[in-house]
Amino acid sequence: MCGWVHKGGIQSTTAMFMQPLAVLSYTITSAAGLGKANTARTLREERSGLTPNDLTWAPLDCWIGHVGAAEAVALPEALGAFDCRNNRLALLALEQDGFRDAVAAARGRLGAGRIAVFLGTSTSGILSTELAYQSRDPATGSLPAAFRYDTVHNLDATTEFVRRVLGLTGPAMTISTACSSSAKVFCLAERFIRLGLADAAVVGGVDSLCHTTLYGFSALQLVAPDICRPFDTARRGLTIGEAAGFALLERGAGALQLMGYGETSDAHHMSTPPPDGDGARRAMLDALERARLSAREIDYINLHGTATPANDRAEGRAVHGIFGTGTPCSSTKGVTGHTLGAAGITEAAIALLSLEQGFQPGSPTTREVDPETRCAFTPHGQARKLARVMSNSFGFGGNNCALVFGKDA
Amino acid sequence: MRIAIEAVGVLAPGLPDWDGAQAVLAGRQPFAAAPLAPCVPISLPAAERRRSSPTVRLAIAAAEQALHRTALSPQDMALVFSSPEAAGVITHQLCEVLAGSREVSPTQFHNSVHNAPSGYYSIAMNAKLCATSVCRGPWSFAAGLLDAAVQALCDDVPVLYVCYDSPLPAPLSDVMPVVEATAIALVIAPKPAAATLASWEFAVAPAEGDVAWPGWMPAAWQANASARGFEALATLAGGAGASAAMPLSPELNVQVARC
Repeated sequence: MCGWVHKGGIQSTTAMFMQPLAVLSYTITSAAGLGKANTARTLREERSGLTPNDLTWAPLDCWIGHVGAAEAVALPEALGAFDCRNNRLALLALEQDGFRDAVAAARGRLGAGRIAVFLGTSTSGILSTELAYQSRDPATGSLPAAFRYDTVHNLDATTEFVRRVLGLTGPAMTISTACSSSAKVFCLAERFIRLGLADAAVVGGVDSLCHTTLYGFSALQLVAPDICRPFDTARRGLTIGEAAGFALLERGAGALQLMGYGETSDAHHMSTPPPDGDGARRAMLDALERARLSAREIDYINLHGTATPANDRAEGRAVHGIFGTGTPCSSTKGVTGHTLGAAGITEAAIALLSLEQGFQPGSPTTREVDPETRCAFTPHGQARKLARVMSNSFGFGGNNCALVFGKDA
Repeated sequence: MRIAIEAVGVLAPGLPDWDGAQAVLAGRQPFAAAPLAPCVPISLPAAERRRSSPTVRLAIAAAEQALHRTALSPQDMALVFSSPEAAGVITHQLCEVLAGSREVSPTQFHNSVHNAPSGYYSIAMNAKLCATSVCRGPWSFAAGLLDAAVQALCDDVPVLYVCYDSPLPAPLSDVMPVVEATAIALVIAPKPAAATLASWEFAVAPAEGDVAWPGWMPAAWQANASARGFEALATLAGGAGASAAMPLSPELNVQVARC
């Protein structure tokens, strides 16, 4: 703080109850697999989707979570201006699990204008701009004539692309709060639906491999030289992955539900959490309060768990402060990689899969749990009936979001 | 739905603050272009000010103007920041480095995130509530305003809303021609109080044709998403109309009517 004092008045308490929202349909595509069935199989078999980095255009000594199938995807001709890696990955994911059909059915029932579209991303199609900068005119410095910014690189490009593919005309926008982006879209949807600005919402996120994040996180010395190992004593950083996922939310009860959420800021540092994880703690407490649940009613926590030394220690301590050692938790970043702006939807989808299938995911790359992280980190997955799960997502700028999902009893 | 406007901040060449902007927005005084002085947000410690980008400084300086005009505490406000391109000059610098040595500066990388302005602001002000960063391309003003209004009403909390455009360097300026900085900050409350400037009845409505730009506004600002907010501010300045429309998509507008 610098010159701005608290002016008194009523300290705001933002947390309040919410009516659950039905999750009608969801899908996830990452290095762990295309669609829900493949993702669930990878999780159950305790495999990792991560591979040693073989990207010829980014020869860094690290691992990656690569969705190679996205590269061959062709966009519809009418939307050709949107062609880029990020939008190809978005379309690949939309085609899985009958998600487009579920949206079409909702559109028929509710009307295209009553369904909102809120997506998260951190870098959108910036890879196209990076490549355009490699092909600048040596004399004038100008970018190639074919390069498009608005439909490719702008952070809203994928949201507008998805909105058009799905034929929706409700309110739409992109949330970009780094690695919490595609968790916060669930909160936005709840608010818009509560106020009657929409009856349903397509939420999700898409982020794809690019030079900016691969070299940027390397510059911050946050990328592991080997595969990432969340909450491991010997963890050395994250593995960057790419992913796209979507969920269709609607007012009312459902077999799967969004039950609560919390959003906070650390107000501490741009890229490091406070050591006690205070912002994370407040986000989790807000999420519990909105869901009208006590800590012991949460059956499993899918942690943010990036596998950087500072992040895991802060999150583990924040979780321990609320849940003690009574609630099993794990990070699935060793399976999917850290999918950044898509991490929120990736792990929301894994949380929903765990509820639906009665399976608590583990962390197959973790060898020895760091006792300094204190919480009940559980490296091995197990079949287990789950009713309420939490998913954490934290990003640069000290931006925190916790979501609570539940299964109709 | 109704929200209360508690305070306004404005930064643009020729519109250095809300006091100066009101006469122009109300049509009482012609717009006179003048260079915008470099933004020096006082809440950012010197080291952070040096590390931050021009976009961060613009957004925080606009926010500070609004904060000076309200008795509400920054610690009690949720944040909604919106911009079509918050990284701007940082994107250019990163892409140049990535096309060459690939020796990226760690500070530049964390400054490249879209929520760097709200992140720096939350650190400077010790603001620990919800912070959201919105992008909706050319429709970013309406989208962010809608998000801010919705959050104020749903969570019964004051919201600081800031929308901003920073000039882009060549060659990015060829594809995103923002040549001058513009920024608008609003402190929004869920209910009016004694110091409230005015209330807005707001709605999302079907768009009927293009929304016209204000006649006084320099044509170059039509590239700036935040400049869409000037028509809304005119309703607070006692200007030509008591209502304003801002595009949210090709199909939808956000409308505000002073009441």
